[in-house]
This record gives sequence, structure tokens and C-alpha cells, in this order.
Amino acid sequence: MKQPLLWLALFFAATTAWADPPAGYPFVDYSAGLKAARASGKPVFLYFGRYGCGWCAHTNKTTFSDPALKKLYSAHYELVYVDSESGRRVTLPSGERITEAELGVRMNAFATPLFAYLTPAGEQIVQIPGFKTVEDFRDYDRYVRGGHYKQQTLLEFLGGRP
Amino acid sequence: MRAALGLLALLAMPGHAGWGWEAALEVNSAHGPAIFPHLESANRQGVAAAGGAVAVVWEDNRSGAPRCYAAIKPATAAVFQPERALSDGECYEPVVAPLGQGRFLAAWEEAGRVHARVLPDGPPLRLSAGDAAQVTLATGNGNIHAAWAEQAGAHRRIVVAALALDGNRLALARVQPVESGLPADGQAWPALAVSGSGGVTVAWEDRRAHHTVPMASRGDAGLAFAEPLRITDQASGGMNGLGAGLGAMRPKLATWKQGTVAVWLDKRDFLSGYDVYAAFDTGSGPYTPNLRVQDSFGDSIVQWHASVVADDTRLTAVWDDARDGTSDVWLANWEGSGFSDNVAVSAASGPGDQSDPVAALDERGRLHLVWLDRRADGTRVRYARAQWK
Repeated sequence: MKQPLLWLALFFAATTAWADPPAGYPFVDYSAGLKAARASGKPVFLYFGRYGCGWCAHTNKTTFSDPALKKLYSAHYELVYVDSESGRRVTLPSGERITEAELGVRMNAFATPLFAYLTPAGEQIVQIPGFKTVEDFRDYDRYVRGGHYKQQTLLEFLGGRP
Repeated sequence: MRAALGLLALLAMPGHAGWGWEAALEVNSAHGPAIFPHLESANRQGVAAAGGAVAVVWEDNRSGAPRCYAAIKPATAAVFQPERALSDGECYEPVVAPLGQGRFLAAWEEAGRVHARVLPDGPPLRLSAGDAAQVTLATGNGNIHAAWAEQAGAHRRIVVAALALDGNRLALARVQPVESGLPADGQAWPALAVSGSGGVTVAWEDRRAHHTVPMASRGDAGLAFAEPLRITDQASGGMNGLGAGLGAMRPKLATWKQGTVAVWLDKRDFLSGYDVYAAFDTGSGPYTPNLRVQDSFGDSIVQWHASVVADDTRLTAVWDDARDGTSDVWLANWEGSGFSDNVAVSAASGPGDQSDPVAALDERGRLHLVWLDRRADGTRVRYARAQWK
């Protein structure tokens, strides 16, 4: 019994080492994150990264290192990390089973990092490509958790911010 | 008058050579908005053709769980026979290769191991000793090879096997990791191509450089493998000390003349997503400088699901992209020093989403193409055959 558990631990250690989520955040895989969101009612913050991605590393170092941002996103979102080249399997809300790389195809993840906000039911609210600042992520948080996406596009919302 | 004569002369000229397509056929019989067929596999090997017969394999969830299915179109039949399940359990990423005389070889992942069997009625053989996935096959010159990614320590590594066939029964003749030591990081998605000497070339995704790099190794008939080579001509290295290098994934190999050709998805132009790139292996030395496969009209568009087929005279790459607004299947033919302008496959383009192409050439040089046609009432697995004209 001990040996299968050891292999399981090694497998998860290996797969998380392949990916590049920011340190200290409770990121989980897509299927676990969507399941948690359905249970908690929190929106999903989906981080599309790539193993070895320079701009992802830059975002992690410059932006996600902010303690207040970590506290904000860890408290109010189910955090999902997807490795855009991985063959790891995920299950979509429709029930379809695809790989993390194929999820990138479906979301047209042409660049990394790419960030997507999803409702607790897994419906996409908005997706944003490229490096972003702490202030950007605070704005996106207000847009998502404030429910502004129901009336405005992100650009409209940002154009009217104080 | 001169202009009219010129126009007449132009009209009288034979058109450019290209693939002439026959009417498309439907392959899968079970459709529905909650049934999801998939053609993803290592080396994108979902169709095989030989002796006029065609086999298509895919995975779908019609039974409530992922299962693999195979449909065969015998040489004398106009349509595919009803599909049959490849195995009894949950099944992923099936592949198929030709054996001749109406027979095929299929392989798949099931219960964390990889398996193979002869179609239509051979018994299954477990290929991997341990946890494994992403199996692929290559047949030719009287040899049968399989490759897969198998757990070895903390990561998976690429393993290649020579298979023996006795009637409908398969056996493992030899199993050999490409590299003997434990992998320093992940290896995945192997692709295989046989060589004229009886050896085999294997390519795969490799993460030892801390980003994904397509690599390859040449093996002899005894499965002794040479030092792995990078297929991409892009060096590893981060950006101002951040990251490890550009992305590249899902290598696909085909035998080409005395060597092999590889295509893969490459993110060196990272603002426009993955592009299709190709490189040739002449049998010795490094891979050739890399060539972009898609034309300028596809430059700013992300490409997906790239594949390549080749024989002694013809080399064609296929993929999908949405340059015309929705996903279509595109192809480009090798013209000696570069790839042709891109052509949308008529039956696999137009309104709606046509994607995920897999392809094979038969011994007569005919191109066999299978793709997914996504519709509101369910996804179709579709097939068409083309002759070079």
C-alpha cells in the first residue's frame, strides 16, 4: 500500500515541478479548481502558463510577489494553473475530457501568460493576455467580483474607473 | 485582341498540380451534443491505409466514460463498417498503423498502461511494464515498432519496442529506453518513423532544458539509440534571466527518402501563438535549419494540430487554423526548397469548425485525411481520400 502512495506523491511532485505557478499561492489543476468553485461559489482565476515561459516568470516575480495581491486572490478566487503544453487531462463543464494543451486551443490561448476569469459554473467572464501589474489585477478583481461584467466590457469598465 | 488571346492561352494551360479530393464520408455512428470524439494521439496517428482498406481510431464518451473505437473501410466497401471498441475499459489516445492485407495494428492507453492488438480480431498485448501513456506505432520494411512515455523515477521517459507478429498475436521482441538513465525532467508525446535500414527514429517533447524542446534520436535495428538531437534550431535561454526558452510541442515524424521529416508547433513568434515548423533529418548530422510551413496569410494566426505525411515523392503537412474566421483544415505541399501556398481542404473548411486533422499516405501515394466536424447536434469524425493530380 505504501508504494502506490509513494508513486502517487512522486507523480504529483513531478507534474507540479513541470508547471510554473507563482510560489505561495494555492493553485490547483483545472478539474479540481472548477469542482471547488461549484462548491464555494467563488469565481475562478485561471492562469495559463507555459513551462519555461519568460513573461510568466516576469509576472510571477514582479506582480504575484505582492503580499496583498496574494492575500486578495487566495481569499476570493479558486486559483487554477494550466500548463499550456501539458497532456494532463481536464474535464470541461460540458463533461468533455480534454488535455490542458487542448484547453489552450479552445480558449485560443495564443500567448502566455494568459489570465481568464470564470464564473463558479465555469463560464468565461473575460480573458486577458500578457504581463500585468498588481494594479491591473486589482482592477480586474473589482470588475469580476463587483459584477460589472454583467453590464460592461472590461474596456468600458476600465475607461470609467476613478 | 491580344489580351483575349492571352486569356485563352492561360485558360488552356493545365492547372497547378494538387490533391484532388473524393466525396467525404462519415466515420462515427454515435453523435450527440454530449458525445465528444477526440483524435489526439502521439504522432497524430488516427488513420492508416493499405491495400485499399482504411482504418480510423478515435476516443469518445458515448458509454459515459472515455473509450476507444476503430472503424474499418474494407477495400471493396464504399463506406466504413460500424465501429467497434478497441478494449473493455477506459481508453485514451488510440493510434493505428497498417499491416497490409486488410489488417491493421492499434495501440492505446488503458488503466495506466499502454496496449496493442491486431485489427480486426487480434488479442490485446500489454506493452508497458509500468505506468505509461501516449503510445505510438510505426510499421514498414517488415518491422513493427511502438514507443510510449513510461514512468521512470520522478518523470516519464521515452521507451521504444520492437514487436513480433505471429498470425494475429503480437509479442514484445525487445524493449529499450532511448536513454538508459533516469530522465532529468519530463519526456512525452513520442513520434516514430522507420528508416530504410530497418532502424527507427524517435522524436519526443523533452523538458530537460526547463522548457519544452522537440528532440529526436536515431536507433538501429537492434534499438541502440544515438545521443538525442534537438530538432529545433532555437537555443534555450531565458529573457533577462527569466524563463528558460521558447515553447515548441507535439512533434510528428514521417519517413522521407533516406531520412525523416519532423513537423511541430512552435512559438518562436510568441505574439501570434504556435506556428507550424518543419525540419529534415538526412540520416546523419543535425536536423536541417527549421522551415516555416504556413504561408504569410497564416502568420498572424495561431496554428494547431500539425501533422505530416510523406513517401518517396510527396510530402504534405496538415493542420487547422481560423484565418478565414472559423477553424478549417489546411495543407501545404513540399516543393523542393519550401512549402507551397496553403490550401484549405474543401470538405474540411467553410462554415463551422473543422479541426484536428490526422492523415496517412497509402502505398499508391493517395492521401487519407480524417478530421473532426463540430456541429451543434454533435461532432462527426469525417474522412476523405485524395489523389495527386
